[in-house]
Amino acid sequence: MQHKLMYFHSKTILTIVMLLTFIASLFSVEWGGELVHAGGWTTMLQMIQGMLQPDFSLEILKLAFMSAWITLAYAVAGMTLAVLFGFVFGVLSSGILLKNRGASHYAVKNFFRGMLGFLRAIHELVWALLFVAATGISPFAAIFAIAIPYSGILGRVFSDIFTNVPEKPLQSLRANGATRLQQLLYGYLPFAAPDLISYAFYRFECAIRSSAIMSFIGLGGLGFQIQLSMQDLHYDEVWTFLIFLIGMVMIVDLWSQMLRKRLVA
Amino acid sequence: MTASDAITIEQAAKRYGGLQAIAPMSLRIKKGEVVALIGPSGAGKSTLLNMLAAIELPDTGTILLDEKTTSLYRNPKDLAKKAGIIRQQFDLVGPLPVIHNVLAGKLADWGFWKSLWSFIFPQEKQAAMKALERVGLSDKIYDRTARLSGGEQQRVALARLLVQNPEVILADEPVSSLDPARAKDIIQILVSLAKSENKTLVASLHSLDLAKMHFDRVIALRDGQIFFDRKSDTITTEDLTQLYQLTEQKQNAT
Repeated sequence: MQHKLMYFHSKTILTIVMLLTFIASLFSVEWGGELVHAGGWTTMLQMIQGMLQPDFSLEILKLAFMSAWITLAYAVAGMTLAVLFGFVFGVLSSGILLKNRGASHYAVKNFFRGMLGFLRAIHELVWALLFVAATGISPFAAIFAIAIPYSGILGRVFSDIFTNVPEKPLQSLRANGATRLQQLLYGYLPFAAPDLISYAFYRFECAIRSSAIMSFIGLGGLGFQIQLSMQDLHYDEVWTFLIFLIGMVMIVDLWSQMLRKRLVA
Repeated sequence: MTASDAITIEQAAKRYGGLQAIAPMSLRIKKGEVVALIGPSGAGKSTLLNMLAAIELPDTGTILLDEKTTSLYRNPKDLAKKAGIIRQQFDLVGPLPVIHNVLAGKLADWGFWKSLWSFIFPQEKQAAMKALERVGLSDKIYDRTARLSGGEQQRVALARLLVQNPEVILADEPVSSLDPARAKDIIQILVSLAKSENKTLVASLHSLDLAKMHFDRVIALRDGQIFFDRKSDTITTEDLTQLYQLTEQKQNAT
């Protein structure tokens, strides 16, 4: 009895231990003047000022629009490639196209699983640096830098979505004499589509952010402009660019919600 | 073994680990027979039907489907022409419109490109329409399947079976999740379809009334064995009480 009760309380005990650890950690922080560096408060004030009064002059708006367009273009191109590769690799690594569960089944499955792991092991920023070193500053560097790790991530999640499709309807498709590819078409895809699409859209948001960050290494786009304005301490301009970034992400989110609603309804 | 046998079972048995699902049994079902399979839960009805559908193979003994051992049906497309199975209502693809679920019965005849093309322009729509008319759902052809009621979904599954057009129709508890009125309705359609097209029908049921009312022959299973196998009009209440008696009582009695 006592043993079982302890099992129920184990989570509570863990919570208390973690809370105590957090409180204890507060004592090791130096709360004096060293927490924020000398000019810190003034900079922070300037940032807040910039946030309240972003620079909406025509010139900056034009610049922001152009940079946002570049950032979006990289993200769209990268994601298009990533969805294509991610879909193919996801289907192959989920094993739904493979008939019998023999040794070859696991060999193929694990091969593609491994490929996906390799693709997503390296961060897009590292890929971008590698591509810039190899090909110089070109749009392809940004596009491939997004496409490669995102194929890995999408492929992995797509594969899990496919394996979670309800088994019963697929059994009956098999009894109908459907081949594996026909099962993919008439069973796996209809069930998985809403999840596939909503996850791809979430990743598209991430791709826009990544694409903006990518331009910190000189690839043009919003991140590049943010960096330039930061160096000039023009926080009002920084906020204009950030608003464009936030706006893009929000539009993508709205779009994906609309699409999902239509698919699930 | 005569030429008119649709199903011949010879000493077939199936084990799952320590559980003897089907004890060695022999059985013959003629072409065009309409057979109900009854018995308490765990009697082996589903296992037997799965073996008849060649989804599972017997451990020992053989099952002949139209004179050919089920293990020799290597090509699922050939098998789909011989035997089709309908289960509880959860075996349709809910997100697809009704017509695609019905046309799934044609997948055995179609290649990949035709099935892909059919998504945009449904192929052989006439066959699907005819099947849906027979089950009384012709007005729901483009509705999302998941939105239909349980009874309607089971009719869609029937329409799919019609389009698949197998020689033997197997039904595994086709009405167990429906209310009595809907259940009767579905069984009526199922039996009348089988009889008018001269198909063999084997359906497992929980409702004894339905079994006695609509089926010619009733096979009762208990503990993986045939408990009785009779014409439906000769079954007495006594038989049924014995069949469904709890195992504990039976053990105490012997």
